[in-house]
Amino acid sequence: MTRWNDGVDEVSTVSPDITEETNALPNRYFTDPEVHEMEKEKVFGEYWVYAGHANCIPEEGDFFTRTVGDRQIIVLRDHDGEVTAFYNVCAHRGSKMVDDTPMSDPGHMSRIRCPYHLWTYDLDGDLASTPKSFEEPGLNPDLEGGDVRPPDPERNGLLTVPTATIGPLVFVNFSDDPMPFEEQAGKMKEELEALPLGEYEHAQRIVSEVECNWKTFGGNYSECDHCQANHQDWIKGISLDESELEVQDYHWVLHYTHDEDVDDEMRIHEEHEAQFYYLWPNFTVNMYGTADGYGTYIIDPIDEGRFQLVADYYFRDADLTGEEREFIRTSRQLQEEDFELVERQYEGQKMGALAQAQLGPNEHTVHKLHRLAQEAYNA
Amino acid sequence: MSRSQRDAEAFVVTCEDCAVETRTDDPNETVAFYRRHRSATGHDVVWEGADAAALDGLDVPADADLAAVVRALDGAYEGGVPLGVVAAAMGERGATMAETFEAVHDLRMTGGLYEPRDDHLRPF
Repeated sequence: MTRWNDGVDEVSTVSPDITEETNALPNRYFTDPEVHEMEKEKVFGEYWVYAGHANCIPEEGDFFTRTVGDRQIIVLRDHDGEVTAFYNVCAHRGSKMVDDTPMSDPGHMSRIRCPYHLWTYDLDGDLASTPKSFEEPGLNPDLEGGDVRPPDPERNGLLTVPTATIGPLVFVNFSDDPMPFEEQAGKMKEELEALPLGEYEHAQRIVSEVECNWKTFGGNYSECDHCQANHQDWIKGISLDESELEVQDYHWVLHYTHDEDVDDEMRIHEEHEAQFYYLWPNFTVNMYGTADGYGTYIIDPIDEGRFQLVADYYFRDADLTGEEREFIRTSRQLQEEDFELVERQYEGQKMGALAQAQLGPNEHTVHKLHRLAQEAYNA
Repeated sequence: MSRSQRDAEAFVVTCEDCAVETRTDDPNETVAFYRRHRSATGHDVVWEGADAAALDGLDVPADADLAAVVRALDGAYEGGVPLGVVAAAMGERGATMAETFEAVHDLRMTGGLYEPRDDHLRPF
């Protein structure tokens, strides 16, 4: 029985049993601004989240920034060739240091310098230099020169954010006590690392703003019961009846079987299927099956009622062929079709009529998304 | 506001690289869109249209510079001209959002403009 806001306002936590009537996240978790604030800590401040692609910063000193909730990090290639991440915050008085620098338009620096008082850091985050005024207190009559200790390079260094990788895909975690990355990524890490993801180059980024909660779109991505009615072009050549929805601890995979005539050279993997991975909370890897490339989505909340879909496309060569451009155009069409659906759904969710939705038995991937959200909120 | 309801919205900006746009009644929402989009892509955005009523106070030549545009708009807005309106007016003069904000920054840093409240401008 669907639970309406009919004066009773009866909702329950998400039942682990999908056959129970309380199998969905109560609606207020999609529409309440306080939930959006809570998620910054309990979701995006706790779990591993995608930072970007290592291929975009191939040289020592290459960097980009990534903003997650209220936090911004610098992701850079250090002297040892490793990708590392720091808060974009100066150890002196907390100034943001480098300007917003998207992964699709990365920057380069030999050292990280705060423009405010010119505190300068090495690429390993250690403080490399400060202006003389920090060591020679000539303007402070209460101090003798010998009373001042110079800043310690390590203790006054930048605050590191832990990183982990799946091939070239870099993840970060803001928690004080992060769960092991392997636990969250599960066998997705092993499966994707068996593929030559690092041989493909970033070719295009398309960013859209969509007027619904990020979980509303996450739910749409996670099932294809809506495809027959809404993605007529895409389902040509797909055998929806043979699809398989695989649910793991923190990720799920949608396997869509292709007709046998799909060209073998058009796929990064050997299976005759498109494989769409959703890694909790907001990252997807899209193996399309009909293009020799792959894509990723970041489903970044702006507020409770809007998110940015950051769609990145990777091909053998960053210079797109005509076919690859056409492929991206088709992918974009699919996104637009879904945006219509999720914005329509969100208009309904905002009306306040529905207290708790009802998921169908084949929506077990959506159920997993809702359960993980509930689990995060209750933690 | 869903996609199907947006046609009547007054301020429209587009990223030509991504072929995405935003339509809004609030001129400063175009500014927020630009900032978010720029942050994620590095792309500039251009104006597709702006509410004529919002620019009614503008009685300056089509090739007027930023300072003249802000001075012309100033009387119509208590507490400063919304930055989005300034950007829209400059958009009608062919400037992209990035070009306008660069000009705004330069003019503020040289004392030609100030910001009485967030994202609102007044001339000195």
